[in-house]
Amino acid sequence: MTVVHEDTSARWFIYSSIAFFLITISVGLIMAIKFIYPEFLGGIAALGFGRIRPIHTNGVLFGWLLAANMGLAYYVVPRLAGTKLFSEKLGMITLFIWIAVVLAAVVTLGMGDTQAREYLELNVWLDILVTIAWVLFAINIFATIAKRKYEQMYVSLWYIMGTIFWTAILWIVGNLPVYSGVNDANVNWWFGHNAVGLIFTPMGIAMAYYFIPKSTGNPLYSHKLSIIGFWTIAFLYIWNGAHHILFGPVPTWLQTVAILFSVSLLIPVWTVITNFYGTLRGKWTQGNYIVKFLLAGTTFYLLTCFQGPMHSLRSVNQIISKTDWIVGHAHMAVFGAFSFFAMAGIYYALPRILKRSMFSDKIGEWHFWLSFIGFLGFAISLWIGGFVQGLQWMDYTISFLDTVKTMFPYYFVRMISGLLMLVAQILFAINIYKTVRSAPEQVTQLQPSAA
Amino acid sequence: MKFESKAILLVLGIAVFMFLGTYFTMIVPLMDPSLTTPTEDAKDYTALELQGKRIYEKEGCWYCHTQQVRNLLEETQRYGMGEEETFKRFGVRALIQAPPTQPGECVFDKPHMLGTRRAGPDLARVGGKYDNSWHINHLRDPRSTSPGSLMPAYTWLFDIAGQPTQDAIALVAYLQKLGSNINWREEGVEQVKKLSSSTNTTEPTTAEGIQQ
Repeated sequence: MTVVHEDTSARWFIYSSIAFFLITISVGLIMAIKFIYPEFLGGIAALGFGRIRPIHTNGVLFGWLLAANMGLAYYVVPRLAGTKLFSEKLGMITLFIWIAVVLAAVVTLGMGDTQAREYLELNVWLDILVTIAWVLFAINIFATIAKRKYEQMYVSLWYIMGTIFWTAILWIVGNLPVYSGVNDANVNWWFGHNAVGLIFTPMGIAMAYYFIPKSTGNPLYSHKLSIIGFWTIAFLYIWNGAHHILFGPVPTWLQTVAILFSVSLLIPVWTVITNFYGTLRGKWTQGNYIVKFLLAGTTFYLLTCFQGPMHSLRSVNQIISKTDWIVGHAHMAVFGAFSFFAMAGIYYALPRILKRSMFSDKIGEWHFWLSFIGFLGFAISLWIGGFVQGLQWMDYTISFLDTVKTMFPYYFVRMISGLLMLVAQILFAINIYKTVRSAPEQVTQLQPSAA
Repeated sequence: MKFESKAILLVLGIAVFMFLGTYFTMIVPLMDPSLTTPTEDAKDYTALELQGKRIYEKEGCWYCHTQQVRNLLEETQRYGMGEEETFKRFGVRALIQAPPTQPGECVFDKPHMLGTRRAGPDLARVGGKYDNSWHINHLRDPRSTSPGSLMPAYTWLFDIAGQPTQDAIALVAYLQKLGSNINWREEGVEQVKKLSSSTNTTEPTTAEGIQQ
C-alpha cells in the first residue's frame, strides 16, 4: 500500500521561496554596487543602503531559505512518517500568511519602519504574523509526525522538530520589547547567533540528512554519530551569543564562556560532517548537480564552522571583527552551505512532486558552477580585503578613509561575483519554471523514490 | 525508551538544554546591576537627541557604524583625540586616548546601537569631534568633507532650498551627544592645555596617563 502525497503546500512554498530569492539577491547586488558607486540609485530614501540592507538579510533568511526549507519539510516529513501531510489546507494558509509577511516586510523596511535590532527589524505586527504562521507550521508537522506509521523517527525529523521549537522560543523571547543597553545587545546576539545556529543549521542539516542518502543511494553512514551530533548542537549552540561582542562592554566572564562554547562547537560539526562525507563516499566524482550541491554544501559547512570557533579566539577576533571578513563568513553559512542544501533538496523533490524530469540538467549544472564560482569570488575577496583592513585598523596612524580605499579592488571583485551568483539563480528559476510548465511523464521513468 | 523516538521527550530534552544556556548567558547578565547602572556623567537623551536617534535607526546608520570602542589599544588610540586635532586646537601634539565603551554609557539606548560592522568608522566618541556645520555638510555630500567615503548623500534630510530639515538637525544633535556619558573629552582638553602651557615642544606627546 503506497501513500499518495498531494504536496500542494510543499511545491507552492518552494515556488514562492525562489521568487523571493531572486528579489532579495538582486537587492544584495544593488548593495554591492553601492560600495563601488556610493551614489548608485542615490537620492531615493527607500533605496538607501541602510533601508535595503534589512530587506536583503531578512528576505534571504526568511523569504528564501526558511520558506524553501518549510516547503521541503512539507515534502520530507510525510514521507518519513509514511503518511499524508496532516492538512494541505493548513499548509496553504501558512503560505499565504508567509507571502503577506514577506511582501509587507519589503514595503515597511523600505519606508524605514524598523525595530533597529539586527535580524529582528520587522515591526511588531509582522512579528505577530510570523508567530501565527510558525504555530500553524508546527501544528501541521507535529500532527503528521503523531500519526506516523513507524515507531522510530529518522534523524531529519528530530532536527525539524527541534527547529520548530528553537525558532519559536528565539523569535518570541528575542522580540520582547523589554531590553535596553548592553543587555539588549546581548539578547540581540543571543537571537542573532542562534538564528543561524538553531534555525538555519538544524533545518539545513535535516535536509542534508534526508537528501544525501536519497540522491546517492548510499545508506546513512552512522546512526550513533547522528545522535551525538544532534544532542551536542542542542546543548552547545545557545551559549555563544557574546562572541559577537568580544572586547565590548559585556562582562569578561560572559565573553570567555562564549569563547569556550564556540570552540567546543567543533564537536557537533565534525560529527555531522563525518556522517555526511561518510554517506557521500564513493559518489564524489560521479554525482550530478544534486550531489555536487550536497558535497559543496557539506564542505562549506565544514569550513564555515571551522572559521566560527577560530573567529571567537581573542587574537583572531581582534583583527577580523567588524571587517568585511565577517560578511564573507556569513555568506558561506547561509549561501554556501544551507542554500546549497536547499537547492539540492528542491532539485530532488520537485521532479518527484510533479512526476516529471527537470527541464534541463545542463542548466542545473550551470546553476551549480556559477553559484560555486560566484560564491568563491565573493567570499575570498572579502576574506583577503577584510583581513588587510583589519590589520590596517590596528595602526591608528593610518586614517580610516585610507583603510576604506584599500577595500576598493576587493569590493569590485565582490560585485562581479555577486552578479554571477544572481545569474546562477536566474538560471535556477528558469529551470524550475520550465519544469513546472512542461507535461508530466510516465512515473516509471523516474528513479524509484522510496516513501 | 529512547529520547529520539518520542516527540515529547525529544522536545523536553532540547528545552532543558536551551534553558540552561539561556539562563547563564542571558538571564544572569539581566540581573547584573553593573550592566544597568548609568555612569557618573550619564544623561538621558533630550527630546531632540532622541528624535535624532530614531533617524539614525530608521536610516540604518548602525549597519555601517558601530558604537563601541573595544577594549583594545588600537581602538582607544584611533577613536581618541588625535595629534592633528590637538595641534590644530591647542598648538600641541598629544594623543588623548578614548576610553573603551562602558556598560553604564549605554543604559539609555533602547534599542542598543553597539552595531556589528565598520564600513565607516566607529561613532561612540564622535560627539564634539566636529562642529555642527561639518556634520550637516557631511550628511548633504559626504565626499565634500571626506574624500573617498562610501557613505551615500542623505538628500532626503534636506529641503528643496538645500537647508537641513528638522530630522537632519535632530540627527546632528544625537551625533554630538555620543560619547558624552563619560567626561573624557573635557578631561582630555584640560590635559592638553596643561601640556601646552608647560612645554613648547612639537614632538608628539602621548597622554596615556589619562587612562589610569
